Amino acid sequence: MKVDRRSFLSFVIGGAAGTALSPLPWKLMDDSSIWSQMWPWTPVPPDGEVVYEDSTCSLCPGGCGITVRKIDNRAVKIEGKPGHPVNDGGICILGLSGLQMLYGPTRIKAPMKRMGERGAGKWQKISWDEALGMLTEKLTAIREREEAHTVAAIAGSDQGTVPALLARFMAAFGSPNFIRTPSYQDTDELAVGTLFGEAGRTGFDLENADYILSFGSGIADGWGSPVRMIKACSLWKEKRVPVVQVDPRLSNSAAKATRWVPITPGTEADLALGIAAVMIAKNLVGSGAVSGLGGIKNTLLTDYAPEKVSLSTGVSVEAIVEIAKDFARANRPLALCGRGKAQSPESLRETAAVYLLNGLTGNVNQEGGMWAIAPADYIQWPEVARDKAASAGLRQPRFDGAGSGQYANARHLLQRLPDGLNGNGPYPIQVLMVADANPCHSLHDAAAFKAALDKIPFIVSFSSFNDETAAMADLLLPDHVYLERYADVPVAAGLPSQTIGLSKPVVSPQFNTRHLGETLINLAQAVGGSVAESFPWKNYETCLQETLADKWDVLMQKGVWVDDDFATAGSSLQMAALDTPAVEIEGDAGTFPLLLMPYDSIRISSGYIGDTPFMIKTVADTVIKGKDGFVEINPQTAGEMGLSEGDLATLTTPRGEAPVRVHLFEGIKPGVIAMAKGLGHTAYDGFLADKGINVNELIGPVEDPSSGLDAAWGIRAKLAKA
Amino acid sequence: MDSALIPKGVKRCPMWQFLLGLGIVGAVLAWGVYAMLLCWFKGLNQTNMNDYYGFALWIWADLAVIAVGGGAFFSGLLKYIIGKDELKNIINYAVLIGFICYSSALLILAIDVGQPLRSWFIFWHANVHSMLTEVAFCLSCYFSVLTIEYIPLILENRQIDKVPFFHNLGHNMHETMAVFAATGAFLSFFHQGSLGGVAGVLFGRPFSFREGLLIWPWTFFLFTWSAAAYGPCFTLLITWITEKVTRKKLVKDNVVELLAKISGWMIFTYTIAKICDTTRWANITAPGLGQTLADFYTGTAFYGYWILFAEVVLGGLVPAIILISAPLRKNPVWRVTAIILAVLGVSLNRWVMVLQVMAAPVMTFDQWILYYPSWQEVATTILPVAYGIILIMISYRYLPIFPQEAELNPIDDEPEVEAVADAPADLEPAKA
Amino acid sequence: MKHEQKHNPPMKYGMAIDLDKCTGCGACMVACMSENNVPFKKDESNKLDSITWIRVYKLTNGKSFPDTEICYLPRPCQHCEGHGGHSPCVSVCPATATDYSQETGIVSQIYTRCFGCRYCMAACPYHARYFNWWDPVWPDGMEKSLSPNVSPRMRGVVEKCSFCFHRYQQAKNKAYLDGERRVPEEAYQTACTQACPAGAIVFGDLNNPTHKVHQIVKPDPHNGNKSKNPRAFRLLERLGTNTKVYYLSSREWVRRAGDNYLEHEKTGQVSKPHH
Repeated sequence: MKVDRRSFLSFVIGGAAGTALSPLPWKLMDDSSIWSQMWPWTPVPPDGEVVYEDSTCSLCPGGCGITVRKIDNRAVKIEGKPGHPVNDGGICILGLSGLQMLYGPTRIKAPMKRMGERGAGKWQKISWDEALGMLTEKLTAIREREEAHTVAAIAGSDQGTVPALLARFMAAFGSPNFIRTPSYQDTDELAVGTLFGEAGRTGFDLENADYILSFGSGIADGWGSPVRMIKACSLWKEKRVPVVQVDPRLSNSAAKATRWVPITPGTEADLALGIAAVMIAKNLVGSGAVSGLGGIKNTLLTDYAPEKVSLSTGVSVEAIVEIAKDFARANRPLALCGRGKAQSPESLRETAAVYLLNGLTGNVNQEGGMWAIAPADYIQWPEVARDKAASAGLRQPRFDGAGSGQYANARHLLQRLPDGLNGNGPYPIQVLMVADANPCHSLHDAAAFKAALDKIPFIVSFSSFNDETAAMADLLLPDHVYLERYADVPVAAGLPSQTIGLSKPVVSPQFNTRHLGETLINLAQAVGGSVAESFPWKNYETCLQETLADKWDVLMQKGVWVDDDFATAGSSLQMAALDTPAVEIEGDAGTFPLLLMPYDSIRISSGYIGDTPFMIKTVADTVIKGKDGFVEINPQTAGEMGLSEGDLATLTTPRGEAPVRVHLFEGIKPGVIAMAKGLGHTAYDGFLADKGINVNELIGPVEDPSSGLDAAWGIRAKLAKA
Repeated sequence: MDSALIPKGVKRCPMWQFLLGLGIVGAVLAWGVYAMLLCWFKGLNQTNMNDYYGFALWIWADLAVIAVGGGAFFSGLLKYIIGKDELKNIINYAVLIGFICYSSALLILAIDVGQPLRSWFIFWHANVHSMLTEVAFCLSCYFSVLTIEYIPLILENRQIDKVPFFHNLGHNMHETMAVFAATGAFLSFFHQGSLGGVAGVLFGRPFSFREGLLIWPWTFFLFTWSAAAYGPCFTLLITWITEKVTRKKLVKDNVVELLAKISGWMIFTYTIAKICDTTRWANITAPGLGQTLADFYTGTAFYGYWILFAEVVLGGLVPAIILISAPLRKNPVWRVTAIILAVLGVSLNRWVMVLQVMAAPVMTFDQWILYYPSWQEVATTILPVAYGIILIMISYRYLPIFPQEAELNPIDDEPEVEAVADAPADLEPAKA
Repeated sequence: MKHEQKHNPPMKYGMAIDLDKCTGCGACMVACMSENNVPFKKDESNKLDSITWIRVYKLTNGKSFPDTEICYLPRPCQHCEGHGGHSPCVSVCPATATDYSQETGIVSQIYTRCFGCRYCMAACPYHARYFNWWDPVWPDGMEKSLSPNVSPRMRGVVEKCSFCFHRYQQAKNKAYLDGERRVPEEAYQTACTQACPAGAIVFGDLNNPTHKVHQIVKPDPHNGNKSKNPRAFRLLERLGTNTKVYYLSSREWVRRAGDNYLEHEKTGQVSKPHH
């Protein structure tokens, strides 16, 4: 057939018209709208039966009740449990994002042994049997050499059965070196012991107080049980309870307070004693709550007269007197201390001074006051069986020196570990086990700690997550995360009650992990002998059930057990002489004209748990921007140094230097600079790593002369435009 | 080689020169196409747009090309409806430029939306209250009209014209062109207006919000008026550039001056209206919403008062006065200066009505945000420029765009024609 | 059983957020992200392309140390009613992908209808609308935490706070099954309201005098729904957006920061509506 131009054109035009009139274009258009909303890479969450499971959050010491919404066996949302005595339906940003930890890329998914260089991140998955076998072999060999004391364990807590099992393992094994990570709990226990003469902790009846005087406590920044604290803040607003926040920086807590008292950092104890002095001078002291007041009265009146205190603290005489009067005249005033989230120990002097204020009101162990609470005692296990090796090991001094000599008052001194490892310790450490702790990031001078780990031949991490300390381990024995397991969660965190929550497995374990309690029982049984004898339980669940005894049913039913009629740790506060020394910070003012203080943000998790992707998303672009972290600085100070908003600068402290960006903030005292804690991770995942600076690497430990606790609250620093 | 296709009585540059030019511009086009594909396949994260700058360079480019493309409808209106017959000597080019501008606008829109495959939802699920719906409908319709207006020109190609069917089709289409010109003018009135309305109806944005005149915001009329006013200037500018590149006079001075004069008066009246609008906005609308002129012009160094001055005086009053004044208008240097100022002025106006609207904070605790386009945005914005140059090159070579060309450039002065430079590449910066 | 929901007077869901109570803890933001399958990227520090349906702004009074004050202001979609549902965004969407519900007062967003022109974002002075510049990607395994009640969005569409509309639908279904005429106040609460540890957010039907939000806000229908509560204000009230999120503050500078004022104007002054 001959195709001429005419027939060709007719064909083309006819074909086009035909196609246009056919259903094809319509079908294609319809398809395009369907394709474009159903790309295979956009997940379609499967539907299913909705179930709610109650549990207890243990991501922080707060102990909130949670309700987890599940679709079939998937947990899709964590909500606060209404009616729970701690949080009554509210929930914090960390608790809300727990599922990102459960399902997140930062989980350690199976037991692993190190393959390449330590810290190089090369691992090989192994079976639990092989992993436990490896550890058992090491431990048995050490024990046979009667060197059981050279095994150390670092734990994030000593509350509840799981840490107790670890402590018990150490005792049964024969090592005195169960070391808890430092926190305000250390200072609080020390202060209660010193002031009340008995072991215990404080609790605060915040809800019934009618005047709050906070010495830097981050009452809206994650102090205590964070949800309870924020609820209390709202309650105070409703009841018009005056809240005075003493803080060198306009923290969120200061912003929520009725009055912000900017203070020269580190002089909080002076102010507290100054207020006490005014109360005594004006005869505003409650009856008989403090014994030994006579002995310190004169010192207080002379050394802490408002004029003197005003000079050191930068708080005006009028303010001191006014606060003292208001505090004293309130019916149920309450003074709080423990900076920020109370994650660091503080000087005994400061804590004692603040507790003295509570004592002076006569409200100790009263409604709306400060309570001295005896330690929870529900864990009643038989004495540890000790064989010869155990007895020999336990006769050795603790590696960190706590509990003897100049450190007699301290129970745990983790910050002394690097020095000990670097040749100043009583003996070498052969095995280190780490549970629920990330000292390679959270300890002051974290870099030094990390470096000192070189001296330990074998490190075991029980962490569920790829944290910095796990990265330095030789063996990973990953624990379940809290949503996959049973555990008792005793809540201290400033609660004026004995409260125990129960964590329940909300979902089945997602990976090849094992409950730490279970691992320890397995391990003890593998080591055998008296160690195995000390762990008579079939498994962790039996252990937990037996331990909780009659509380078990209540916990299974309600999820929480509360005792308001608890034993106190003494009722009278005894004030000894006011000769506890102050804690000076590191660095000389000549070289380092500025004062660097870390600050806590509730949106940045700064303990063992890393920030989740959701949380990091809420962090302001004046805290992290890309990889850069910011320091807050008063515009006046910045101006003197020629720095403007967003400028790159080099921050130097006696411990190191770091590139930072500058954020001008009017709410910080001139001469002081502040950096958020909890950033600058190198481990975890791409959502958290490489963001900002770990301020702990710029600050070194400073020991409180009265206890040896690391009470550093800052360091001197300098900033130079980069 | 392609002499059979070249219109009778005119001379064109040698093929190699033509192909070289085409190649250079084609490379730019390819770069733009690459960027376009990146945007389509990887998504709009290839741009520097963000949640504050949802509308950015592209929307500005769209508004600007449509404004300057207004020369097509307005010249058509003047010729076919008002009866300014001299304009028949430039109307072809005005239509071609209009066609390029509108097809470019549609192309940019197709890149700009997040889900191009569903962009037909604007017709299918149309929200009649949205200015953008109005824009989409009028723009597509007017683009069809421009296509219909462009077709007879293609049919005039020597070879196509030989086919009796096409010859007759072309002839008949010419006959009915007045109808399309009228339709085009009507559609243009609405879509230019609705483009103005796009910013004017934003009552959440005091910077662009203009209270209604009847049911439309002021900007509706300002945009229509300014497109009519400034569009011819762009036609003249491109004509002037084409003349420079081809080194030939293509349109007689009386035609150019007539269009320039009309444009001058239009710009003048528009600028008066714009000043009235600005005064009302600065003194009534903005203060009524708690804001002052200073709030809009002192937030950042970039968006200063200079921009208002540049737009109203340098891009409005100055070109208007030059073009109105006969002696200045007749002076080519003054005239071209005025034309360039005018085109810059209307582009600046569209910039302000898109970009500054996005930049200015409304909430007191919000801040000014500046933005710079990514290379992908720049490339895709230059893409239609390259495409336009190519279309002009081909159309000019093979179609009798300029009726006066043969008369103005008798074929015997061959040497001069031979000397035409390989200047197509120069077109690009001139238009951009 | 006769269900009379259709004959119910229209509801107007809205919020009262007490800024005196808000501590800026950010729980609302994460509650919202977790409830609504909001995606996240490795770097979210560029706040200009970070999707946070409810965003907490930090306001300062602009005074220097030590007179500085800060206040946090959570900003969900304000669910503008404008004049008769003529909200800034709804009126501009060319494809009717966002709509004002006369039944609930909620401004909806249909992701599968939106083709990503972003005109609504240009129209919204609150920056409450967010564009999906990227394909949402969940790290391996984390898609398990996605809720089936809210569909994950695809690249190239706009999304925003819906007042947890899926919760309304569930509550409405439940009310229907329970034979109740109206959705009870406690049966429909947004995720942010539920999570807020400070109890700063109160959510409910502004038309219903038995609802707490109505009692706090006391909207005045004769004055453009302005609150009769002297502590209350709305963001950019003068624009006539007629929002349904009310803020409460006892501090004058905070209330003043809610809107633009000429120097001599009193805080709370509202010019006449424009539409």
